[in-house]
Amino acid sequence: MTHDTGRTAPTARRGPGPGPGPGSGTAPGPSPGRPLPTATASPFPSSSRRRPRRRPARGLDGGRAPWIYLAPALVVLGGLLVYPVYQLGLISLLEYTQAQVSGGEPTSFQGLGNYAALLRDPQFRQVLLATVVFAAACVVTTLAVGCALAVLLTRIRALPRLVLMLAALGAWATPAVTGSTVWVFLFDPDSGPVNRMLGLGDFSWTYGRYSAFALVLFEVVWCSFPFVMVTVYAGIRAVPAEVLEAAALDGASQWRTWRSVTAPILRPVLLVVTIQSVIWDFKVFTQIYVMTNGGGIAGQNLVLNVYAYQTAFASSQYSLGAAIGVVMLLILLAITLVHLRIVRRQGEEL
Amino acid sequence: MKLPARLVAPVAAALVLVAAACAPQTSDNGAEGDDRTGTLRVWLFQEVDNRPKEQVVDAAVTAFEKRHPGADVQVEYIPVDTRAQRVKAAFNDPASAPDVIEYGNTDTAGYVEDGGLADVSAEFAAWPDARDTDPAARASVTVDGKVYGAPLFVGVRALYYRTDVFQELGLRPPRTQTELIATAKRIRAAKPGLYGIAVGGAYTYGALPFLWAHGGELATPGGGSYTSAVDGAAARRGIAAYTSLFGDDNCPAAKCASMGGNATVTAFASGRAAMAIGGDFSHAAVEAGAAKGRYAVVPLPGVTEGSIAPAFAGGNNVGVLRSSSHRTLAVDLMKSLAGKDTQRRLFDAMGFLPTYTDVRAEAARKQPFVKPFIDTLAAGARFVPASPAWGRIDASLVLPTMFQEIVSGRKDVATASRDAAQKMDAAFASAAG
Amino acid sequence: MRTHRPRRLAAEAAALLIAAVVAFPLYWMALSALKPAGEIQSTDARPWTLSPSLDSFRRVFEQQDFGRYFLNSLFVAGAVVLASALIAFLAATAVTRFRFRFRTTLLVMFLIAQMVPVEALTIPLFFLMRDLGQLNTLGSLILPHIAFSLPFAIWMLRGFVRAVPEALEEAAYVDGASRARFLWQILFPLVLPGLVATSVFSFISTWNDFLFAKSFLISDTSQSTLPMALLVFFKPDENDWGGIMAASTVMTVPVLVFFVLVQRRLVSGLGGAVKD
Repeated sequence: MTHDTGRTAPTARRGPGPGPGPGSGTAPGPSPGRPLPTATASPFPSSSRRRPRRRPARGLDGGRAPWIYLAPALVVLGGLLVYPVYQLGLISLLEYTQAQVSGGEPTSFQGLGNYAALLRDPQFRQVLLATVVFAAACVVTTLAVGCALAVLLTRIRALPRLVLMLAALGAWATPAVTGSTVWVFLFDPDSGPVNRMLGLGDFSWTYGRYSAFALVLFEVVWCSFPFVMVTVYAGIRAVPAEVLEAAALDGASQWRTWRSVTAPILRPVLLVVTIQSVIWDFKVFTQIYVMTNGGGIAGQNLVLNVYAYQTAFASSQYSLGAAIGVVMLLILLAITLVHLRIVRRQGEEL
Repeated sequence: MKLPARLVAPVAAALVLVAAACAPQTSDNGAEGDDRTGTLRVWLFQEVDNRPKEQVVDAAVTAFEKRHPGADVQVEYIPVDTRAQRVKAAFNDPASAPDVIEYGNTDTAGYVEDGGLADVSAEFAAWPDARDTDPAARASVTVDGKVYGAPLFVGVRALYYRTDVFQELGLRPPRTQTELIATAKRIRAAKPGLYGIAVGGAYTYGALPFLWAHGGELATPGGGSYTSAVDGAAARRGIAAYTSLFGDDNCPAAKCASMGGNATVTAFASGRAAMAIGGDFSHAAVEAGAAKGRYAVVPLPGVTEGSIAPAFAGGNNVGVLRSSSHRTLAVDLMKSLAGKDTQRRLFDAMGFLPTYTDVRAEAARKQPFVKPFIDTLAAGARFVPASPAWGRIDASLVLPTMFQEIVSGRKDVATASRDAAQKMDAAFASAAG
Repeated sequence: MRTHRPRRLAAEAAALLIAAVVAFPLYWMALSALKPAGEIQSTDARPWTLSPSLDSFRRVFEQQDFGRYFLNSLFVAGAVVLASALIAFLAATAVTRFRFRFRTTLLVMFLIAQMVPVEALTIPLFFLMRDLGQLNTLGSLILPHIAFSLPFAIWMLRGFVRAVPEALEEAAYVDGASRARFLWQILFPLVLPGLVATSVFSFISTWNDFLFAKSFLISDTSQSTLPMALLVFFKPDENDWGGIMAASTVMTVPVLVFFVLVQRRLVSGLGGAVKD
């Protein structure tokens, strides 16, 4: 028997704000932490046939009102997100270098020529591979650390929990630029403390390809595990205490309780945490740019995002840079669609 | 699984937009007016130990502002490494571009092709100072017979070495490149705390003399364009000689592969290297460092005894942007920044070699340290291909990547130079077409 | 319970140890900012200093127009937070409290919008900002960041809006309240805590931005923001680590304060946003 969706669906319907459950103490006021009466339970009054009558009459049809409310968001997103994405796609189909930008030469349509050039470029293939492997390593490490610490948080008393929470929040709050700078300094061969503590002498972390990637990975995990930890912790706390007690009374082992009670409830949380991590780590830019000084020795630490930027702005091959951006967009789109498919398959709604 | 269907609508809408919309715009860099008052923005390069330069510039600016009441000059010092992006952005948005910039002479062709620099031929011809500009410097601001700026200084590199270390170990200044390499390794063996000679994987202009001394070429002209020659047999010998200096027996690759010219000069100035390839413009930085009073300069030796390796004829110019709305003021500011008076003071403060023959001769009389640089110039300095493509080759780090690939052991000289040649040829081809 | 005691103590010790490791980079940052110049470069880096000095901070605020950059950053982040909170509030209300065609499509689009690699859009945004005449001004940072903060803000706010009981809405209408009155006088105050939590993310991403600042603020240094000012301390000759760390500290503290203030709501808010 695989994870039965029958178990997840009711939980998802349990309350609109299934944050920390009742009595967790972290949800003051009318925040989503407080479960609401089941009558309004479904988060979405969608057209789903399974739950046809969810909303009170007024909510059923707002006429023009929702569009008025949405108008500012749509205008902003249309103008500053959709339009630039469209421009990006367009530029990627043109011959567009500095000469064209300055008006020295006419722009010419290249079709998929830039993409063909990318596919022929061995460096692009290498960077693509490095990006995928690096992002995967970051995601796995971040999730492992975040989940392990979330579980640890549930096992300890309030004071050490607060200490760990605050430390994690500090890491989370640190701006990427300063975080990267501080980590580079920590691992500096001459004046950093890490090499001294580990007795590495003047080992240069940024010289080797893998050690440089490892250094960036440490920083990425450091600043992104708190999100996972906090979210998963909130998710675990949402498991009703009675259910756990009942399981314990039934004599279920810890592992069984985890497998058949906690894990199913946590699955949606884990899914979202995973997809967010994938999105963030695949797009990592600042850390690589700052820590490896724009891509490392001979470009060994380039990832797609930095590569696109360097191609466009350093070499002023705007159209080639745009094509790399489009490839990234397509990969992330594919990941998101797979994610949505999994969410749907579990019988949940957006 | 309704999802794909739901996506169809927006995707279709986007496609309609694609079909309907027009291409991204281009910019017109022409100036709109010629204001006689207002703010003039100036970008100059940030040097190692920038303070003396700032003082000279400040003096020139103050004098300029006194001559032109109502003009306010704002100087910003920008890092040399990332200049390409900044200047590109400035060309793309005339409204926020500076009025006057310092630029490397290797960038002249590219900037002119981009339409960024103003043609100042008339003003240059009428400028009394310019009559003494040496022909090579004049050529470095000239494209197709038109003048696009004023030369600021001539940059030529030679070999700095530590007299105390050489004396202690009983060494003499190297007279061939083979001897140079052997001397560097001897010093490193005797004094493991020092680099024999500080070299950098990203120090293109320190590496080029090795390539040229072995008879190699960067590129050969032909058919209105260039063909890369860095993978030629002679060039490869030069590349091999330079990259042999990276290693635990001289300059460990882990530290030196990522160094650029400034970093090697810093290493020498702070007493961490026994030799370095530095320019006349590095003089002030070395004087300000721990090596002060314990060093001398000789021309970088060539392959055969007594010869001088061809140096890169570097140097920087000052130009006016075509988009400047203060053209008259900007040209005047350019003249005061690159005039004889300022060059004289820049030489005293920074060691920048003047571009005027008379001022340079005067400098050589005053300061014997410039002799090796002038000797190097006299022995014949070389230049990078005068193609707009060079800017792109430079900005996309083709040569540093090649050196770094070799010194980190990722590729051998033959493979790395062949790959670099391919990238250069692609750039030349796209600039020509 | 008693049998678990040693295990719990071990877990707590581990937690404290991990907290120390996690906090160490920040500690080192603040420490290095406070160390006198000689101690930073020295090769034996001690984890304490006996003679703390504010020299590095003084250098930061004197050498550069740092105070100004700080205010610029604050202004940009503040404008983005306010604008995106208001817009996201309206949009979140629309998608949670109404039923209309394309609602789910919109939600999917909001999710997809979150994954757009912002950096890749630097190229088109550069030209867009140029055509809007916004280059070299703080507007070129504010406008794109509003757009990039919105999708996640809407996504997260939905949970907070939904948590307000519908009964309240019905009661308000029965009492004769208009839709606008309900929106601003009843719903808005109730959702405000959530808005604050959501704002953390807009604040951080804007505060952290250095790519747009680097690309769009071309020549007007008076418009520079903190991350750019930080990069100035990286010099070709010798990095001024004391200055860099002091500037980093100045840059990190406001975010840290913001975070600690909204910490509790953040935890609950994420729980809500994430479970959907």
